[in-house]
Amino acid sequence: MAALKKSGSFVVFHWDGKLTDPRDQAFADALENRRFRTIENAASEEVSAGWVTAGDPTGDSFDAEDLDGGAGTWLRFRIDKKKMPMKWLQIHRDAAEKSRGKKLSARERRELKDDLMEQLLPRVLPTITLVDALLYHDRKTVQLFATSKTARETFSKLFFDTFGEPLERANPLQSGLRAAIGPELRAQLDRLEPIRWPRAEKAGALARAPQRPAKAMAGDDGAGAGEGEA
Amino acid sequence: MKQQQQDQAVETHGFLGEEFLTWIWWRWETDGGEFTLPGGRVVGVALDDFLSFAAPSDDETEQTLRRGLPTRTAEARTALRQGNRLRKARLLIAEGSRQWNATMDAPSLTLTGVKLPEDAEECESDVDRNADRSANWLALHEIVQGLYGMFLQARLAPGFKTGGAEQMARWMAGGK
Repeated sequence: MAALKKSGSFVVFHWDGKLTDPRDQAFADALENRRFRTIENAASEEVSAGWVTAGDPTGDSFDAEDLDGGAGTWLRFRIDKKKMPMKWLQIHRDAAEKSRGKKLSARERRELKDDLMEQLLPRVLPTITLVDALLYHDRKTVQLFATSKTARETFSKLFFDTFGEPLERANPLQSGLRAAIGPELRAQLDRLEPIRWPRAEKAGALARAPQRPAKAMAGDDGAGAGEGEA
Repeated sequence: MKQQQQDQAVETHGFLGEEFLTWIWWRWETDGGEFTLPGGRVVGVALDDFLSFAAPSDDETEQTLRRGLPTRTAEARTALRQGNRLRKARLLIAEGSRQWNATMDAPSLTLTGVKLPEDAEECESDVDRNADRSANWLALHEIVQGLYGMFLQARLAPGFKTGGAEQMARWMAGGK
């Protein structure tokens, strides 16, 4: 059995609706419907993303034991990317131009590229990225163990395609709205403004308020800019 | 559209994450960094060997301090005195015998470079180990969420202006 990582980075997502219980077969079935599909033999530049498990990186099986991540459900998805190595294109182009004794036209370059893609891409192996996530069903929370934009967006899309639930990424506002602080305090969050530390201002350090987008400048909770001035 | 809204939330409320991280630093220096979270969970938090201060505006310089004890440096004190918020910091978080290390990116509340506590001695199989690690991943998230809730309780309280903010301002200016 594969081991869950003990170091790394993560981003947190939440969902609001009802998600199939991971203990139900329907959950594994939903993953299987969006399973990873190989592009090993593809003759074009492609990206394939889909679910696999920690125990089976092919996406052929979704055994309950492979989804068991202790406190959470262990999700894993795989992103394969097949891309023509540019060095090969350059080498073939240089060879063609040398044999002709002149530069190729744009059309000839395009044709050469298409021919090479057809010949070479089936032989090019895709790069493989495996990304883990832990899903805590009762908390409506997922920890995604990757922070790149590609991983975040692929995961959000895959999750939505699989379960029909949009994910909200945790951030200071979202986490505040989910914090146990009561509805009155929660209601203030959207209108909150940054503190400008007063003594520092008196010392002549900062005279300007931090810049905020226009939308958020609309309201002030009275505890905003200039707040705390002594 | 959803992505845009999420990016905007980081943009509009990123300051809150930065205030949160600065608040942790203040609590650590002035109060020892021990927090009793809702539910009675007691955790200790300290700042470690990496600090990065937000530039007050787009055309000013971001300041990063690494290695040693950056919180003790004159540069860090000056940044605080100038009212700069902490954008990133390496944190040590402890609960009982368990200890996590992580760098918090405050505007997004993302944790990077996390190191979980050592696997429990009683882990005898991969299943045990995975259960232990997933419990530790979850605990880290819950602790940070609990700390953030505590910060918000203080930050949004009616008396913050004359209480916590004033005390933090004194600390930032060089006092206690």
